[in-house]
Amino acid sequence: MASVTISSVRKTYGAVSVIHGVDIDIRHGEFVVLVGPSGCGKSTLLRMIAGLENISAGTIAIDDKVVNHLEPKDRDIAMVFQNYALYPQMTVAQNMSFALELAKVDKATIRQKVDAAAAILGLEPLLDRKPAQLSGGQRQRVAMGRAIVRNPKVFLFDEPLSNLDAKLRVAMRAEIKSLHQRLGTTVVYVTHDQIEAMTMADKIVVLNAGRVEQIGTPLELYDRPVNRFVAGFIGSPAMNFLRGTLQVDQAGLKVASGSVIAIGAYPVELTGRTVEFGIRPEHIQVTETGGLDTLVDVVEPTGSETHVVADVAGEKLVALIRRRMPISVGDRLPIVFEEGQGHLFDAESGQRLILSSGQA
Amino acid sequence: MTLSPSAFANETVIKPPRDWVLIGLWISLVVVAAIWIAPFVFIVFTSLKSTAQVTTTSAFAPPVDPQFVNYAKAWARGRFDITFVNSAIIAAIKVPLGLFISAMAAYALAKIPMRFGRLILVLILFGTMIPFQVMLAPIFTLVNGLGLIDTYPGVILPYLAFGIPYQVFILYGFFRGIPHELSEAARIDGASHFVTFRRVFLPVSLPVLAALFILDFVATWNEFAMALVLLQDREMWTLPLGLSAFQGQFSRDYGQLNAAIVMTVLPATIVYLIFQRYFVSGLTSGAVKG
Ligand SMILES: Nc1ncnc2c1ncn2[C@@H]1O[C@H](COP(=O)(O)OP(=O)(O)OP(=O)(O)O)[C@@H](O)[C@H]1O
Ligand SMILES: [Mg+2]
Repeated sequence: MASVTISSVRKTYGAVSVIHGVDIDIRHGEFVVLVGPSGCGKSTLLRMIAGLENISAGTIAIDDKVVNHLEPKDRDIAMVFQNYALYPQMTVAQNMSFALELAKVDKATIRQKVDAAAAILGLEPLLDRKPAQLSGGQRQRVAMGRAIVRNPKVFLFDEPLSNLDAKLRVAMRAEIKSLHQRLGTTVVYVTHDQIEAMTMADKIVVLNAGRVEQIGTPLELYDRPVNRFVAGFIGSPAMNFLRGTLQVDQAGLKVASGSVIAIGAYPVELTGRTVEFGIRPEHIQVTETGGLDTLVDVVEPTGSETHVVADVAGEKLVALIRRRMPISVGDRLPIVFEEGQGHLFDAESGQRLILSSGQA
Repeated sequence: MTLSPSAFANETVIKPPRDWVLIGLWISLVVVAAIWIAPFVFIVFTSLKSTAQVTTTSAFAPPVDPQFVNYAKAWARGRFDITFVNSAIIAAIKVPLGLFISAMAAYALAKIPMRFGRLILVLILFGTMIPFQVMLAPIFTLVNGLGLIDTYPGVILPYLAFGIPYQVFILYGFFRGIPHELSEAARIDGASHFVTFRRVFLPVSLPVLAALFILDFVATWNEFAMALVLLQDREMWTLPLGLSAFQGQFSRDYGQLNAAIVMTVLPATIVYLIFQRYFVSGLTSGAVKG
């Protein structure tokens, strides 16, 4: 177990700057997920923690010891790569024991550690196979086994599940999480999949274009996104946004078409401001009477719920409806936004306007 | 359970249609193989015939009364006891050493960031473009200046100089193709560059190394021009040199000449047979991800 402290870390490749000053505190035993769109610098940051990339500015400390200039092997970390990076000519057992062998650990101890890791991951019957003779999920486990045997202070994962099919991904997600609970080792986990982030993390770091947008627990991020980016990134189906001018006296938002959509009450000093109003699909309710008049565009039943894309005053909204009801394209569907579930963001800066809004 | 005759009739109908492309490929393969094997058959047959038989029988007629004595005579007259040993020593040092140096250079150029890496690579690749015939005279002067004429280092060093560039070229391309995560995983596991090279890259590259080994062995074993210039003392001659002298001296004894050729070619064939299994097995394994 160890803490990881990232302070004002920057990364530049020549003239190109890809990480612009990032601060993250990771506590002992925490499962931290770095999430963000492709190219935002997640892998770069992880590789800097691992020691595979130089740190252009700032410091990274593991257990209060600055590791900027330490070789990867001296940082006491283990990394699992997206393509597993197993040594193709070595057996599973040799793959797992390679690091220990290089560290001159005696044979009996290596055997014991490899066997223990194999038992945890259910790899015992595969120890003598080569990576080419394994399925994707098995390779994934071997890659984790290789990390576990070293008993590192920190596990680093770079999109370890993205080469697996959907079902296996869900299974491995649970497996990694229970492994973390069992070993209690600090984990830094990179993914671009916000569902993976939500389900696995103790703490999520949302990155965008080389900057931290928000750090918090999954539910904090979900309930109180600090800006438009995080609001749109976390949650699936994504939050709906309506852009317009606040008309506080009418408890409404004047959208591009000129209509005023009822969004509930907001402080009077905000009137006339151009904002983006955000509402999650599950916070849109179908009513019997009154409410907003919408026209159903698309109906997508998933079985447990139904996603309805509806048109209100020229704006598209996605509603998530749990109740079974007969809805078809072209229907008129009256809806309301759940009280107190709206999010207001400044249209210009994207920053959250009323911090007390939402479920706070 | 009984099967009606019609069930069998159906089965024959389902038989896959003839793939004419495949058949055409097979035929051309057989033709090419025949063309390649013909001279070899001719040489082996002739090597077992007496001079009288050579002139009276067809070239492809099998020897009725094999003259194994041709081999013994050729061995003695061609001074194979000397040339064979010389060739073996030169190839045994040059081929593995050259390949090892090339592989290390290629690894360094492909995987270690260096200030002038590109420039060094270009310089090495430049070496592949120089035809060595052009360099024969300067090399003689150089080797002579170093006092290495008629010595093993005197031929091995120029052989290395001309062999390494194209091996580096091929291995560099191959190493670049190895996912960088593999060397990064090794680095995290605590492997130095040399350990990564030896334990991860060399095993992965076995097929290429085997192919290069075969090619380089054959090229070195058969090399003539440079050896002719650099080895003047008959005691230092290599097989191809011995063979050429042989040809002038006993030009009418085709049996012995061909026996000498067979003995010259045989080691290269053996090396091929030993190493080809590595690159055949290498082609079917070694996947990194799936
Ligand atoms: N060697 C390099 N030279 C220049 N730019 C680079 C280099 N490596 C990465 N980058 C840039 O750095 C940025 C961040 O890359 P990084 O690999 O960290 O993205 P990521 O968040 O992991 O994305 P993904 O989800 O696609 O893996 C990208 O814009 C990329 O183009
Ligand atoms: Mg990445």
